[in-house]
Amino acid sequence: MRIVAVDPDACVACRDCEYACAFRQSGDFARSASHIRVNFYADERACVPLTCMHCEDAWCLAVCPAAAIDRDPGTGAVTIDATRCAGCKMCLLACPYGNIHFNAETGVSAKCDLCGGDPMCVRACISGALRYVDAEELADLRREVVDASLKRLLRLSKGVR
Amino acid sequence: MHVVIVGNGAAALSALESFRGHDRDSRVTLVSGEQGPAYSRVLLPYYLRRRLSRDGLFIRRADDYARLGAATEFGVRAEGVDPARRVLELADGRRLGFDRLLIATGSSPMRPPIPGLDGAGVHTLWTLDDAVRLDSVFREGARLVVLGSGFVALQAAWAARQRGLQVSVIELLDQILPRVLDPAAAQILSERLHACDVEVRTGTRAESVETDRGGRVRVSTSGGDRLPADAVIVATGARPNDQLLPECLEPDRPGIPVADTMETVVSGVYAAGDVTRGPTARGGPREIHALWPTAVEQGRVAGANLAGAGRSYGGSLSMNVTEMFDLTVASLGQFVEDEGDDVFEEHDRGGIRYMKIVTRAGVPLGAIAMGAPEGAVLLGRLRPFVRHRRALPDLPAFLAREDLDGRLAHRSAAKERTSCASLQ
Amino acid sequence: MQTGPEIRHSLCRMCDDRCGIDVHLEDGRIVDILGNKEHPWNRGRLCVKARAAVDMIYHPDRVLTPLKRTADGWEQIPLDQALDEIAGRLADVRDRYGARSIGVWKGEAIGFGQQETVARRFAHALGSPNYLSNDSMCYVGRYMGFTLVDGAWPIPDLENARCIVLWGANPPYAHPNMTQYITAARRKGATLVVVDPRMSAIARRADIHAQVRPGTDGALAWGLVRQFVEMDAYDKDFVEDHTIGFAKVVDYARTFTPEMVEAETGLPAATVKAMARMMADAAPRMAAYVGNGLEHHENGVGNIRAIAMIDGLLGALDREGGTLFKEPAPLRDLTLYDEMPLRHLSPLGTDRFPVLYDMRQECHTMTAMEAILSDEPYPLRALVMTGANPASTNPNSPKVLEALRSLDLLVVRDLFMTETTAVADYVLPAASFLERTELHAHAKHQIVSLTDKVVSWSDVQGEYDFWHDLAVRLGIGEYFPWEDETALNRWLLEPTGLSLETLEAHREGVEYSPPRVGRRRQAGFDTPSGKVEFASAYLKDLGYDELPVYHRPAYRREPDAARPFVLMTGARKLLYLHSRFRNIPRFRTAIPGPEVEMHPDDAAALGVADGDTIRLTSPIGAVDLPVKVVAENEILPGNLQVTHGWREANVNLVTHDDRFDPVSGFPLMKSIEVSVQKV
Ligand SMILES: Cc1cc2nc3c(=O)[nH]c(=O)nc-3n(C[C@H](O)[C@H](O)[C@H](O)COP(=O)(O)OP(=O)(O)OC[C@H]3O[C@@H](n4cnc5c(N)ncnc54)[C@H](O)[C@@H]3O)c2cc1C
Ligand code: SF4
Repeated sequence: MRIVAVDPDACVACRDCEYACAFRQSGDFARSASHIRVNFYADERACVPLTCMHCEDAWCLAVCPAAAIDRDPGTGAVTIDATRCAGCKMCLLACPYGNIHFNAETGVSAKCDLCGGDPMCVRACISGALRYVDAEELADLRREVVDASLKRLLRLSKGVR
Repeated sequence: MHVVIVGNGAAALSALESFRGHDRDSRVTLVSGEQGPAYSRVLLPYYLRRRLSRDGLFIRRADDYARLGAATEFGVRAEGVDPARRVLELADGRRLGFDRLLIATGSSPMRPPIPGLDGAGVHTLWTLDDAVRLDSVFREGARLVVLGSGFVALQAAWAARQRGLQVSVIELLDQILPRVLDPAAAQILSERLHACDVEVRTGTRAESVETDRGGRVRVSTSGGDRLPADAVIVATGARPNDQLLPECLEPDRPGIPVADTMETVVSGVYAAGDVTRGPTARGGPREIHALWPTAVEQGRVAGANLAGAGRSYGGSLSMNVTEMFDLTVASLGQFVEDEGDDVFEEHDRGGIRYMKIVTRAGVPLGAIAMGAPEGAVLLGRLRPFVRHRRALPDLPAFLAREDLDGRLAHRSAAKERTSCASLQ
Repeated sequence: MQTGPEIRHSLCRMCDDRCGIDVHLEDGRIVDILGNKEHPWNRGRLCVKARAAVDMIYHPDRVLTPLKRTADGWEQIPLDQALDEIAGRLADVRDRYGARSIGVWKGEAIGFGQQETVARRFAHALGSPNYLSNDSMCYVGRYMGFTLVDGAWPIPDLENARCIVLWGANPPYAHPNMTQYITAARRKGATLVVVDPRMSAIARRADIHAQVRPGTDGALAWGLVRQFVEMDAYDKDFVEDHTIGFAKVVDYARTFTPEMVEAETGLPAATVKAMARMMADAAPRMAAYVGNGLEHHENGVGNIRAIAMIDGLLGALDREGGTLFKEPAPLRDLTLYDEMPLRHLSPLGTDRFPVLYDMRQECHTMTAMEAILSDEPYPLRALVMTGANPASTNPNSPKVLEALRSLDLLVVRDLFMTETTAVADYVLPAASFLERTELHAHAKHQIVSLTDKVVSWSDVQGEYDFWHDLAVRLGIGEYFPWEDETALNRWLLEPTGLSLETLEAHREGVEYSPPRVGRRRQAGFDTPSGKVEFASAYLKDLGYDELPVYHRPAYRREPDAARPFVLMTGARKLLYLHSRFRNIPRFRTAIPGPEVEMHPDDAAALGVADGDTIRLTSPIGAVDLPVKVVAENEILPGNLQVTHGWREANVNLVTHDDRFDPVSGFPLMKSIEVSVQKV
């Protein structure tokens, strides 16, 4: 299956992705409605996009006492059936990444559903930090990032020698 | 190989699925004392609150069992196990041979020794039948007395208030949710109950319950009052349904003790869920964690091991989240401090009314958060640290990181309700 | 209209980047806009501004009928009547004061493409040299700086660079999809240097964030030049073969020691050295891009020229991974400058800023206000604007309003009522980018593309139709012989050998000529000398510095003790573009209002916190704004930043319309001395 791979090394925390997601969820740009979340830590100049990884062994899915969380057969996304969700919030507690959000308006949990296979966050990511890729490619992408960082470090160390 | 699973709840279902992940071929039979495909106990209060229909309580369809290749014996209680012959004895007299057995019989509500609890007006909230019965008792204007103030008790009370009943809660100890919340959290919740016109009597013992011929009830309390009511709900705790195989019990201790593999002392017989006393994440003596997530986790391990996968359980970590009177109450691990523990406490952070994290030597042991649902998300983020005993030296920084841009405040301030919005 | 779902390919003009878009229609109505995966620039990705074009186009406040100011307020009038009356009043002005008393002005609000040339043509046909535009405050400063040195503004070959240096540029907000190319290079190991007084979005990814004081970039550039010479790291062959003025450069650079640069810019000497080594190490695959941040200073062009020299010194010019010279699209030229030179008619501002007219055939909008008010050197009595809102975006707004109000005739064509329409005599509906048909050239990819009218309204005219109709009424219709936009486009396209039909079939664009690297090295650069001009005889003749000599910003040269803060204005925010889009509700949800960015130390000293209101006062005026305390490393102590374009707190109340870069005429907007009071 394909997932949204995040590359903090390319993210600039512009938050286009958050707005695009919020818009899809709510028709507005309130960041709180977004399922992808970009944290920016000024001290370290670190940008960290966080979004559901649709874990192979999804704990939220296993734990849901309403059987409202399931895997979409088409996209492989872990999705919440809002008509089944009772709003018990067990999944909020279950996700170790904080990727499930509670919609107080509707009283149900909500999370990334990969937009049915064309994730809007990726379409809005102008830095290329988000990529919708085959889960198997992930290791390659990570290697690419590490290699590039090493190369840059080398250049940097030349810079300060 | 024939695998028999007794139970049709969280642990049994999770075990069945996990078993099938390892073994597609062996014969499986699932036996349950209740009728029909599985429903979820956790959802019963939502049904009473009319948040869900009766249909919405069911978490499996009949064909799900067939899809998982399990024969079902619904509506038949198991009465005993003959471990030597490897036979399960059913209430209808049949005997079911097994190679491996899983006991996932859950627990039942405790009946405290109060005279009159067998009267017609006295209820529990544990099974679908209970809930359906209560649904007809929940008439607007009716009076309800709830004995106990645990999660089930208060969820029942909230549902009743939402349905327009007059509700009194009687608690023996001097705070609500004793052993479940710390006093500060209990105080916040008490205030909320009060604001919602729920009468709370702590430090009060129910001495007796009388049901008159018309079905009306009177609860006599240690304070000398006689509370008239249309119904009483007893919700003073639960005890494991552990009598199927007395051989595996320890004397005078409830719950079937299990090893990390979820196997009981009887080889080939496993147990999971509310019925077990199992290993905990923080080590130490085995405990009963009668919680849904624990049942799921244990079921997974048991299911895998029924198929011979050789899985080991990392131990249970209690985690709980409930909404009561529009307050989300989430807790995790050990949130009442022991000697030598450090406590980090915060009030009114965004929509989170109260948050407390207990640490020891920089390692978070547990936490509690009340108020906005985001508290549960925060606790979820903490969970891996608690479970894997990972140090989190700078807790304030961690929390600040989780809530950098005031997203929490932003989201919750708008949504936080100060009164009993759900009652209006 | 029951046409069901449909997708039309077009280009986004919510900013200037022209990303490829798929416009999703439902029964003829736009329902969403997504990135066109085929487009070579954005490859399917789009910033969220693009998607909000739907909100803009169907906004309830759109001006969709012509409006005429009357004693009782605005009156809706038929388009023909509006055009008749406007033509009549223009004719009056022309008769009374001569053609040059009429100016045309193009702005950014409708996302002009090639159609600005229609307006230029109109002015010429009329006999007026007075073409004004927002470019004289944005973009042209850089165009000039680079063109003076290199003969053109070359395009950085970001994706093939080994080191990218951004000077005062924040692509994620200003040219969003450019960021993709930076990422691509970084994924191949390229280093990134960002020179910016603020930690911009892109600075978050920089290997070196050179946080220099505003307006001191030139000192850093010269410091780097000195390092390259010291390190013997410059490209001797290139310098020998293709540049003039090197000896003077070496001589002048001598004093810019790392220590001196540190003293002037605030950047540690070690960082200056590290930056030089990093760039030299990557050379010639060193790609630099200069942003708007460097233009709005009194020493803007000088600083930009100094930076431009580095490309030549490192041999990065006209090289893969360095900077590339793109061929312009061989479209026909609509302007009449060759046929009808109008310089002798003294375009406004030419006397003071001759280079602006030489290079851009533009007037100087700031001094034009003075001219309007004083009738000196001659009266300018009527202005016709499209998509311009100088009452918000030009410096010293009150003076702009006073000047515009004093005109005999102000016609504004726009999508919405603005600060500027408030003093207009007529407001005409303008066509947004999805309401007209237009040709575009994308220099980076050397492609032309065609965008089409996707929605139409009865009274909304495209640029060509408007100027054509006006020209016919003024008796200069012969200059606008084409029947409509499409006929015009066909004519423009002829020299390319491409047909409109080809472009219709390839909305993602068609290459008009293959990119050629190294051509300038062979054929010479487009400067007067044919060489890369470190020293400019042309400027010297006009009385300017021959070398891009470093002039210290005024606040460093002779600080004004009464105004101890240095205010930068105009940093782009993700969702807004100049004064546009403030009326899109969902943007307001995300970025609700203006604020002044402040260092925590300054906030502590002033005793202010987030949300407190402070007053900024400059010699021009004062403005009140809520404070936003940013992180320690996001802005330098003593510096402030306010983004322009907010109606409720217009920072152009304090920007200078009286202090300019002497070459470009750009106003001082990014190092303004202000005092701060808590209110
Ligand atoms: C009202 C209510 C609300 C709750 N809310 C929460 C909550 O918010 N969060 C939380 O974590 N937990 C909650 N719980 C607890 C949670 O439901 C249990 O921890 C969980 O269901 C345990 O799962 P289990 O599989 O061990 O047992 P159960 O789900 O109880 O399943 C036991 C199964 O065994 C069957 N059975 C029992 N005895 C026999 C027998 N002799 N023969 C055959 N079949 C038998 C039963 O019919 C049943 O199918 C709640 C419980 C109740 C009653
Ligand atoms: S960057 Fe954004 S606003 Fe600019 S053209 Fe592209 S999508 Fe449109």
